[in-house]
Amino acid sequence: MNTTFREENNDYVMSFEGRLDTAAAPDVEKATAPLMDCAGHNIILDCTQMEYISSSGLRIFLKILKNAKPQGSHVYIKGASEAINSVFAMTGFTNLFEFI
Amino acid sequence: MNTIIDFIRRKLSVRVSLWVVLFAALIFINALGFLFYQAREAVHQESVNRATQILDNTSMRVSAIMNRAEVATIMTEWLVKRHPDKADSMFVYSEGILRHNPDLNGCSIAFEPYHFKEQGRYFSAYSYREGDTIFSKQEGNSQYEYFYMDWYQQCHLLDRPGWTEPYLDEDENGFYSESIVASYCRPLKDKDGHFFGTIATDISLDWLSATISAVKPYPNSYSIMIGRGGTYFVHPDSTKLLYQTIFTESMENPDTAKVALGHAMQRGEEGMKQMDVDGKKCYVFYKPLAQTGWSMAIVCPEDDIFSGINRLHRAIMTIVIIGLLLMLCIFIQIITHELRPLRQLATEAETIASGHFDAQLPNFQRTDEIGQLSNSFGNMQHSLVQYIDELKKTTAEKATMESELQVAKNIQMSMLPKVYPPYPERDDIDIFGQLDSAKEVGGDLFDFFIRDEKLFFCIGDVSGKGVPAALVMAVTRAQFRTIATHETVPNRIVSVLNDTMVETNDSMMFVTLFVGVLDMLTGRLRYCNAGHDVPILIGSGAGLLPCDPNVPIGVMGGWKYTLQEATIDPGTTIFLYTDGLTEAENIEHDQFQEQRIFDVIHQSSNAPQQLIGAMTEAVHQFVGEAEQSDDLTMLALQYKHYQSDVRYQRSITLPNDVQSVPELAEFVDIVCEAAGFDMETCMKMNLAIEEAVVNVMNYAYPEGAKGAVSVDATISDEGLIFAISDNGKPFDPTSKEEVDTTLSAEERGIGGLGIHLIRQIMDSINYEYIDGRNVLKLIKKL
Repeated sequence: MNTTFREENNDYVMSFEGRLDTAAAPDVEKATAPLMDCAGHNIILDCTQMEYISSSGLRIFLKILKNAKPQGSHVYIKGASEAINSVFAMTGFTNLFEFI
Repeated sequence: MNTIIDFIRRKLSVRVSLWVVLFAALIFINALGFLFYQAREAVHQESVNRATQILDNTSMRVSAIMNRAEVATIMTEWLVKRHPDKADSMFVYSEGILRHNPDLNGCSIAFEPYHFKEQGRYFSAYSYREGDTIFSKQEGNSQYEYFYMDWYQQCHLLDRPGWTEPYLDEDENGFYSESIVASYCRPLKDKDGHFFGTIATDISLDWLSATISAVKPYPNSYSIMIGRGGTYFVHPDSTKLLYQTIFTESMENPDTAKVALGHAMQRGEEGMKQMDVDGKKCYVFYKPLAQTGWSMAIVCPEDDIFSGINRLHRAIMTIVIIGLLLMLCIFIQIITHELRPLRQLATEAETIASGHFDAQLPNFQRTDEIGQLSNSFGNMQHSLVQYIDELKKTTAEKATMESELQVAKNIQMSMLPKVYPPYPERDDIDIFGQLDSAKEVGGDLFDFFIRDEKLFFCIGDVSGKGVPAALVMAVTRAQFRTIATHETVPNRIVSVLNDTMVETNDSMMFVTLFVGVLDMLTGRLRYCNAGHDVPILIGSGAGLLPCDPNVPIGVMGGWKYTLQEATIDPGTTIFLYTDGLTEAENIEHDQFQEQRIFDVIHQSSNAPQQLIGAMTEAVHQFVGEAEQSDDLTMLALQYKHYQSDVRYQRSITLPNDVQSVPELAEFVDIVCEAAGFDMETCMKMNLAIEEAVVNVMNYAYPEGAKGAVSVDATISDEGLIFAISDNGKPFDPTSKEEVDTTLSAEERGIGGLGIHLIRQIMDSINYEYIDGRNVLKLIKKL
């Protein structure tokens, strides 16, 4: 699992590549640290290259959202495949996140 | 006749009047009866007096005439004795006696034959009266030899003077005249006492007869006279005269009364006799006539004597009867008039009875019994109106309650499974249940549902019946559902139910309950019986499911309910019932009992619906007309899971380290490919298996301890089954409460998504703790 962080048009963009399973989750969680202090920036989670996500991954996404909302930041999920989207749907994430 | 009796029964006025008149009639009859008796006695006495008086008078008159005849005869005898030898002067004497005694009819001075030599054999100077003229002649001749006559011989033979019996007079030619005469005869004797003739004076009995016949104290009375021999001399029937005696008729028709009368008269007695004469009741008064030896009797018909009083009798009776009838009519009128208010009241009562309770009662303003009745009736009407209002209210309330009870029954029935077969898509289980309440609502319950390839079922019986039992039943059933959604072990379900119930059990209700959890994949049955009837297992044979004795729930808080296990072979039926079945009673109060259940089981198919149908029929037949005494509930479950052939099998064992997840992913991919799943399904399978395995890796073993987790994948007709097992601490992920995915980000916890995802992805999951291992099966149909 590879993650990249960049700032783009004042948005924090986090790209995920490969399988975000339980084994990968601890590293990914560490990698998302820059997203914690997000005041004044919207967050885009780029899932274009994501092949798989488990509940550990979903937990990380939820943590990002819960952290960002009080700071007034929007969290967007971008480019998720149909399979990944169905997982978001099963867990009700489609109601929590904004999708672009 | 019946209509008259009916009329009298219906009419009080007629009845009362009849009674009064009847009573009055009784008094009248008695009084009049007494009066008439007294009057009759008086009349009778008076008739006796009258008859006696008449008899005396007649007797005296007859005696006077006879005396005159006797005296005249004695005087003439003296003359004859002075001049006994002058035959011619005898005519002078005989004529003289007649001249001086107009009552006398004739006189004969007869002499013994040849007394006067010159006169020859016969000499009898006879003078007789014809009209006012007196003729005299010598009457003796060869035709009429007078000295053989009674009147001549009697005094000679008796040697004393006396009266002859009356006889028909005979003239000198021997012819009888028409008149009856009686003669007073005296013997004529010379100085030496030699008899030389007889002097006889005749009196006509026509006269006597006229005198006696004139005695008529009553219009139809008549007199008779008899001589010494009983011969009639006076009788209204002239044919009887001289020829018949008073005894003649009695010889043909014995008549003791008449004979006695005849004897009495002959003896010269005086008196009165009551007897039948010619078929009529008569009083006969009799008395001897002077010294003649004759006797006279007056025959008075009773009708005559009492005709006056009988007339009076009839008149008074007529007056009394008319009076009584009049009285009856007047009484009926008066009573009818007096009772008119009652009839009015009756009419009003009829109106009230027909449902017009507000009908106005007549106000009589009377203080008598009718007024009281009217008042009482008014009060009754008032009370009735009140009572009926209350009754209406009560009835309405009862109807409401009944309709509410009906609704309650519907609600209660809707709590029970009612669609059969309940799981048409499953071929591994067949269930049928049935509940018959004795009342609208009942205290029996049964329920079943399948969760995570486990069949949860229960059957119970709340103590008591009716609404209280139904309420407890509803609560118990609801709690069973709630508890069983996150609790898989029957004794724990029962314990929680028990503790909850004991806490709130103020009314001391209790429930016998059997709870079973049948694992659909393995046929393992785990159950707990809290004092309920022991279920019957019907497989190749039939037998009771062994059950530990546990107290019913609600009795004792903190009771350790025991858990029991059994393996149910495919094809076996579990038959559960409440005591309404065993204790169903027929009219003789015999109970259905367990033996009959087994009898039905032996004869019936063990398919649930057929079995319960047969059982129901048997119970109904047994109970017959008797009323259902208790709720009757039956539940039958047939387990039909047959292991299908395994087409594919692959296993992997991993350490409890999340870093081995990629290895797991690789394993899952291989299996999914074997099952022929597409990429997306494959990814979801990965997700589900990873969640399950990671859960075991994280929580099954104590922190830091090494452990293993095995994943066995099999593909059969049932589908793809992943069995994830470990020998860590028992943990049932299926009993975790569901995550609410509709909550907002702020409300949501971070975890808990794993089991949710598994349920979403797999068709079913199933957890069992078998032989010290947690086994979680994830099933995906092909």
